Amino acid sequence: MAYDDLRSFLEALDKEGQLLRITEEVNPEPDIAAAANAAPRLGDAAPALYFDNVKGFTDARIAMNVHGSWANHALALGLPKETGTKEQVEEFVRRWAEFPVAPERRADPPWAQNTQEGDDVDIFQVLPLIRLNDGDGGLYIDKAAVVSKDPEDPEHSGKQNVGIYRIQVKGRRKLALQPVPMHDIAQHLRKAEEEGEDLPVAITIGNDPVISIVASTPMKYDENEYELAGALRGAPAPIAEAPLTGLPVPWGSEVVIEGVIEGRKREIEGPFGEFTGHYSGGRSMTVIRIDRISYRTNPVFEHLYLGMPWTEVDYLIAASTCVPLYEQLKKDFPEVQAVNAMYTHGLVAIVSTKKRYGGFAKAVGLRVLTTAHGLGYATTVIVVDEDVDPFNLPQVMWALSTKMNPSGDLITIPNLPVLELAPQAQSPGIVDKLVIDATTPVEPDRRGNYSTQVHDLPEAAEWLTRLQRLSARR
Amino acid sequence: MADPTATVCPRCAHQTVELVFTSPVPGVWDVLQCGRCLYMWRTSEPERRTRRHAYPEAFRMTAEDIRSASEVPAVPPLRTS
Ligand SMILES: [Zn+2]
Repeated sequence: MAYDDLRSFLEALDKEGQLLRITEEVNPEPDIAAAANAAPRLGDAAPALYFDNVKGFTDARIAMNVHGSWANHALALGLPKETGTKEQVEEFVRRWAEFPVAPERRADPPWAQNTQEGDDVDIFQVLPLIRLNDGDGGLYIDKAAVVSKDPEDPEHSGKQNVGIYRIQVKGRRKLALQPVPMHDIAQHLRKAEEEGEDLPVAITIGNDPVISIVASTPMKYDENEYELAGALRGAPAPIAEAPLTGLPVPWGSEVVIEGVIEGRKREIEGPFGEFTGHYSGGRSMTVIRIDRISYRTNPVFEHLYLGMPWTEVDYLIAASTCVPLYEQLKKDFPEVQAVNAMYTHGLVAIVSTKKRYGGFAKAVGLRVLTTAHGLGYATTVIVVDEDVDPFNLPQVMWALSTKMNPSGDLITIPNLPVLELAPQAQSPGIVDKLVIDATTPVEPDRRGNYSTQVHDLPEAAEWLTRLQRLSARR
Repeated sequence: MADPTATVCPRCAHQTVELVFTSPVPGVWDVLQCGRCLYMWRTSEPERRTRRHAYPEAFRMTAEDIRSASEVPAVPPLRTS
């Protein structure tokens, strides 16, 4: 089942019992953020939240925690809501094999219903903006898919980018945007600024659930997010041309904001409580001038709370971080079985692999550090045997407990790149990285005494099914 | 509702605060913004976010913080050729 817009997905969540409508009046702050902060604590089947009775507003519709549980993530991919984490990642891998699926241009996007232009632009009239964490410098938009093109190669659809970046609202028609240097939009901006030019952008808010997933997937520079959306949806992604910039935007967006990142201009921004669970900011950042807002009648403001993990952002970027890392590793090392990079966008990654020969697992671990995403993120890599499930943390702890000897299994590499937001860096952007080999040594690596590992009894799998059946009948 | 001229910025104590938006239901809250550190808040938020005396030390900002803020990303040199 492919959803073409946010509204049809909210309806589906509602039918599945995965949308909680808060009908009592709430304060814009701190209630909505606090509720979204609390929602994932309800567990793997936590619902999305929908607010339409917000104090002081006459016409607010705010959806929070839309991707904020494994159940909702499964439904976003059209899977049964009970689908397990590992199974969701495996299905993501299977669908990635269909990439690329070209998007489909569709006429009459619903966001063309209403328009604000030029000096009449007032974002506060369109969106019921709210503040999230105590130390945030203002009102943020943090779940928008931002579209830009490579100014040197604007016709190359692969070099378009659709990404989620933190955006601070600085005025009725002024925003700030954080382009992390590792991300594609930073390359677009650098090229524009070298020429002394502005970079046109389209900021799309309230999207179908797969757009949010692909916009936060660390794809390669020349890979097109819409073509991945098509593969994940099992149907071409519907897109339309934004009226002012001509940028390709999702057909089903609630709101499309167009404007430019003003070239060579910076201004104080932040701080903002980030996906690392720490504030970052008080830095001089880019400035966006809004020139046009197109919006659907009665727009739904989809927003995301992030803070002390796990929150919605951790679910949104869990599978989508594991899969590209897996794909890139598998290409060089077919022995790789699975990658769990769900922790803080892959700052920690766990890889299970077969071993070609002694020392092989260490080579696999080191390769993680030089993948496109690993360069800026992977800081600690744990490598485990092929029979250890990297999504089963007790098994990973068992591997660390018994397969890892610090004398030879810890490899530290000093002064490697990491995204500037990583709080543990010695100076922002530079960190030592660690590979932990928690695999069983194989020839000619003769360390340890591993002749007698216990494996599950061959009959155990059958008994598991039998026990499940018996306990279901009770 | 709130008189912005009678308000100081909770974050940097600057005296000039601008009214950005006012609640669609009249008189419930305003969104204000500091003219110096650009902090933006809603007057209905808890004191820890809206009042200078209750604003946490860790989140305060000074004119010097703003002056010395690093550029993200740094503005690249203009291409001359
Ligand atoms: Zn201030």
